[in-house]
Amino acid sequence: MKKFLALLAVIALGVGIIKTLDNNVSFPKYGEAVIESRVSNFYIKKNVTEENSEVLFGGSDYETGSANFVTSIVANYRSFDTLGEVTVLFISAFGVALLLGSKEQKRLELNFKPNFMLQVGSRALFAIIVMVGLYISIHGHLTPGGGFPGGTIIAASVLLLYLSNDKFRTNIRGFRFMQSITGALYVIIGLVGLFVSGFFLENFLGTGIVGNLFSAGIIPIVYIIIGLKVGSDFSIIIDSFLTKEVSK
Amino acid sequence: MIQIASILLVMLGLYGILTNRNIIKIIISLNIFEVGLNLFIVSLAYVEGGIDPILTSHSASSTLSFVDPLPHALVLTAIVIGVGTTALGLAFAKKIYAKYGTYELDEMGVE
Amino acid sequence: MAVLLIAIPLLFAFVSILNKKYAFYLLALVAAFNFVFSFFLEKGMYSIGGFGPFGINLLVDQYALIGLWLLNGLFFLTVMINLKASKKLATVLIVLLAGINGLLLTNDLFNLFVFLEITGISAYLLTTENKKPVSSFNYLVQGTVGSGLYLLGLVILYSMIGTLNMSDVISRIYTIGATPTTLLLPFMLMFIGLGVEAKLLPFNSWVKGVLEKAKPLSGTLVSSVIAGTILLVFGRLLTTVMVISNADMLITIILIATIIAGEVAAFKSTRIREILLFSSIGQAGLVVYLFTHGLLMQGVLLIIANVLSKFVLFTIGASLAEAAGDEVEELRGAFKNNKLLGIGFTVAALSVTGLPLFFGFVVKLNVLLGIFGSYDLITPIIILVVSLIEGVYFIKLLMKLWYGESNVQIKNVLMTVSVLSVAVVLIVLGVYYQPMMDLVAPIKDEMIMIIQGGSF
Repeated sequence: MKKFLALLAVIALGVGIIKTLDNNVSFPKYGEAVIESRVSNFYIKKNVTEENSEVLFGGSDYETGSANFVTSIVANYRSFDTLGEVTVLFISAFGVALLLGSKEQKRLELNFKPNFMLQVGSRALFAIIVMVGLYISIHGHLTPGGGFPGGTIIAASVLLLYLSNDKFRTNIRGFRFMQSITGALYVIIGLVGLFVSGFFLENFLGTGIVGNLFSAGIIPIVYIIIGLKVGSDFSIIIDSFLTKEVSK
Repeated sequence: MIQIASILLVMLGLYGILTNRNIIKIIISLNIFEVGLNLFIVSLAYVEGGIDPILTSHSASSTLSFVDPLPHALVLTAIVIGVGTTALGLAFAKKIYAKYGTYELDEMGVE
Repeated sequence: MAVLLIAIPLLFAFVSILNKKYAFYLLALVAAFNFVFSFFLEKGMYSIGGFGPFGINLLVDQYALIGLWLLNGLFFLTVMINLKASKKLATVLIVLLAGINGLLLTNDLFNLFVFLEITGISAYLLTTENKKPVSSFNYLVQGTVGSGLYLLGLVILYSMIGTLNMSDVISRIYTIGATPTTLLLPFMLMFIGLGVEAKLLPFNSWVKGVLEKAKPLSGTLVSSVIAGTILLVFGRLLTTVMVISNADMLITIILIATIIAGEVAAFKSTRIREILLFSSIGQAGLVVYLFTHGLLMQGVLLIIANVLSKFVLFTIGASLAEAAGDEVEELRGAFKNNKLLGIGFTVAALSVTGLPLFFGFVVKLNVLLGIFGSYDLITPIIILVVSLIEGVYFIKLLMKLWYGESNVQIKNVLMTVSVLSVAVVLIVLGVYYQPMMDLVAPIKDEMIMIIQGGSF
């Protein structure tokens, strides 16, 4: 009975949403989004505070300097949302460690025993994966990706080490230290912007040439910080799940 | 078409949350809900014939027709928040298993 | 400069995990700093990053200032009263403080979603001190579904209007001439999403599990500070951005059902924490009802009265229940040995009921004066019925707690002092209420300026 009522309510809600969106005058159909009437028009043309007619690849001294428009939104125009998101990940990692952690811990035993080839091969792969993660994280303003996928890839390499070796446990104190320092660095960059130019999280370095690696002011720095922070957050979560209490 | 599919995913996730009695299945339904939601947000950004919003040496000027980059930034944040919530949910599930020995809500007795 | 209210707590939260012993001192320091600094803010629109209306802005007006003073102060008091419990959860509490300030200050719809999630996750972690993982898990699932529905409504609104800045949304709605019918779907979704956290029926099944065995720290914070913040945010959205006029019937039915169900359930219950939590549900429904009927100032007054009185009631009630048990029968006569606490509890309970001489009466009188002259019959009937039911069960509770024999003793000097001072504030505001009226008066004019001009 309860399942039938839930099914009815959910179907009614879904059909209601779809029908309303189909008949709606103001809602643009799929594929017909009019960018000129949206705020994104100003983000693409980079004339939020200046007047640009055209942004070229290889031009210089625009207000953001990053070739990837999504990065310029995430790390420059809407940087405050990224700070909030980093806080959500931080408090989730802290919460998992609070719930599942205790004083004495040893590694959870797995059901299978990894063999020798797996252990040696995974150590070679670990270095390559970390390099890929750092590459994606640093080139956030030139290619798709950025700090968040880069950090996840770094944490995936740690997970690989955990899965391939029964006795492995990382240095948790090192990861906690990195988590705290990188988080504080992000807020401190914002505060430096506040004191230098009067606005929190303003881009206070020069913006350089669009398309170079060393360009776009503070955006690559912010993305490296975010990549390291996300990597250490996820590593702490992985470690909390794969350990258990020492039974007395 | 893709918008109808993503709303369908959202409704599937909601139905799963309302009717499931197993904690792990509730967490999986929550994830399906969030996947449908993120897909719907990205589908709002599409412009017919637009290219991806990055300046490269092939698409060198900003006067070309790009897709809308703002929903992409919103989805980046929403995915990470969803991951954080799922991690917390699974930690709760592990604690529930340690306390009650089962994942079924019906076998846990009076709470 | 208003951004320091959010940035400094975040900085201290990141640093505080290095050394668990000193985390509590950082918490006390940052809570005191926030409370003091909130008195030095100037009104205006602060742009983050200097991008004008295309970036994220923080709006400081009288509405936000009232919320900031009240909630930062009560947060500081609650943390100081429950020292032992706060020591274990110091980092979570600092992040909660940043989340609350962010919710009150922001002027951007997506930023509101991010801070809603920050506050939500901190609240889920706070409730783990009750040692009931299934209720906390329930809270997590329902809170995440609510935030997800809010996000769905938000992006549909973005694809119709084209911007995410609250002041811009208001001006663009008028210029493109969108009728309330086309905007009905996103606003209903946003209403449902916020209603889950604000304890409206039928989305509030998490409230019973979380608050019925709540300890003093988490119970007071969830039911007084966080509830006040969410209701203030709801009020700002309902008055400025959301113009729901076609779904009046549906929303009114939901709200009246919430109010009646909450008060009746409190009437039938015999456990002290259950009575208080059902009363919270009823009051939350009443506040949203006032906001949807345009009684903005009265809604704000009711929020202030609610936050102050629930702070007193929950602190004392949870301490009593921790010491001696939940059933009111077992707590008979508990106030004979704790006379000062009893006086504080009595003052707060009578204020919620709305007896003259207390602040609650001033609020209810203002509501009746506000609708004087319009042919609205439902609102006075609701106010009278609710006051009657509340009067009956609170007086029943007070009689049982004062007369009888018991040997419950609570010794906490700081709690007694702060509870008594808040009770004194409630009495003073009941008699000499003109300063509060002057404080609340500019809100209506500023909101009208925001709606008409886009900013002020």
